Amino acid sequence: MRLVLIGFGNLGRGLGRALVEKSRFLRASYGLAPKVVAAVDEYGAAVDEKGLKLERLLRAAERANTVAAYPAKGKRGKSALEVIDEVEADVVFELTPTNIKTGNPGLTHIRKAMLAGRHVITSNKGPLVVAFRELDGLAKRQGVEFRYSASVGGAVPVVGLAKKLLAGNEVHAIRGVLNGTTNYILTRMSKEGAPFEVVLREAQEMGIAEKDPTLDVDGIDTACKITILANAILDMDVKLKDVRAVGIRRIRPEAIRLAQEAGYMIKLVGVARRGSLEVGPRLVPAGHPLAVGGTLNAVTFELDLAREVTITGFGAGPRETSSALLGDLIDIHRTLEG
Amino acid sequence: MRAQIEMELEDVPGQLVKVLEPISSFGGNILNVLHERDRKTPLGRVPVRVVFEVDERVKLNRIVGALRSMGVRITRVGEKEGAVRSTVLLIGHIIHTDIRDTIDRLNELRGVRISDLSLAMGAIGQESAARATITADDEARARAALSRLEKIAKGKSLLMITSLEGM
Repeated sequence: MRLVLIGFGNLGRGLGRALVEKSRFLRASYGLAPKVVAAVDEYGAAVDEKGLKLERLLRAAERANTVAAYPAKGKRGKSALEVIDEVEADVVFELTPTNIKTGNPGLTHIRKAMLAGRHVITSNKGPLVVAFRELDGLAKRQGVEFRYSASVGGAVPVVGLAKKLLAGNEVHAIRGVLNGTTNYILTRMSKEGAPFEVVLREAQEMGIAEKDPTLDVDGIDTACKITILANAILDMDVKLKDVRAVGIRRIRPEAIRLAQEAGYMIKLVGVARRGSLEVGPRLVPAGHPLAVGGTLNAVTFELDLAREVTITGFGAGPRETSSALLGDLIDIHRTLEG
Repeated sequence: MRAQIEMELEDVPGQLVKVLEPISSFGGNILNVLHERDRKTPLGRVPVRVVFEVDERVKLNRIVGALRSMGVRITRVGEKEGAVRSTVLLIGHIIHTDIRDTIDRLNELRGVRISDLSLAMGAIGQESAARATITADDEARARAALSRLEKIAKGKSLLMITSLEGM
């Protein structure tokens, strides 16, 4: 399979490393021999239809901070759209940063790739919260596969679990702790009794929270994931603006203590059910499956047959997320093989 | 919700089993049966009280209907008081936005009362936190109480945190 990687930051590099590490495994277990024929970042591209050497690509990206520094085949200024146009490929990975307002550049990349007849795998929430139905429809019309497991839950196979393994159920509701950063902050606040601002700074120093933590702490990242789950699993047609989101900035250590005295933890929980999409801090009974600590994510499905199924694991990190990206690739490979 | 039916049965064998059957077949989960043979009514009937849980009001109505159609004499149907408890946190300027008024407006709802309130004061100028336990006679009243509190909280710019079960 010929792959094009668009975006070669943390996630792109994580995927590159996983492809190196798993090369033998993929061939032996699935008869799958992925070949990266192009990689693109914001400064340029590296293209080799015979297949780029991934170790070399990773080295170039780490040393010069761009894939354009790839020996001989790297080219500064070459754009993703040019690469999609010119390079023959089977699957395009769209791994650029999320823009929740316009969905771009990811949205344009995905549209173009689908129109060119490429299967698409993305981790990018932007295009999904802006144009889920459009992209889903476009993929169907073009007869291409479209996967986005990495956009929700990182390594936790939330979408696949509901759509595949629980396919015989009607899903009544989805509830989840879907943001590792806020879960880390709330967990630390409850253990240390420290104020929000102090723990946020600590999380930023550790690289768990971003310099601009708005998307995480105001519940917007969770709202994005709820939007995606509502579209993908509940078959709704909704956008980010349809989710009512409240964040955790006003949570105080005293409030956490009052909750603990009554046997609860405070968690930032997102809920998707028909007629109600919301994100906000909630009291979760200690010992409840969603009462996970640290940077963990957890999602509970409320189902007609199975009643309740909860899944938990690591929601972020390049290595963890490569699990979802690779899973999507293998899934497409199997689908095509029939 | 937790419901209770009081009835009077004729003192002949098999009566108790007969009245319990529709309760379970319509989805009631029987918690307690009190069969008071030594407190017979002047007409020689035996008072029986059954406490059970049903998840919706409709089912309770169906059960009562089934018992009546069997000719059972029902003396009282009730939902058990204070059966539904909800814990809620409030964060904001709780005192300055008249906590008395917040409590009164909830307590004026029928079958609802605040049974516990704990307050943690913030430093001067900072927001405080409060935890309230709202006790309601049934699910519908509990929902009404929570939605009223939500309106009050909105008006007073308080952050209201409900428990997961209520979502």
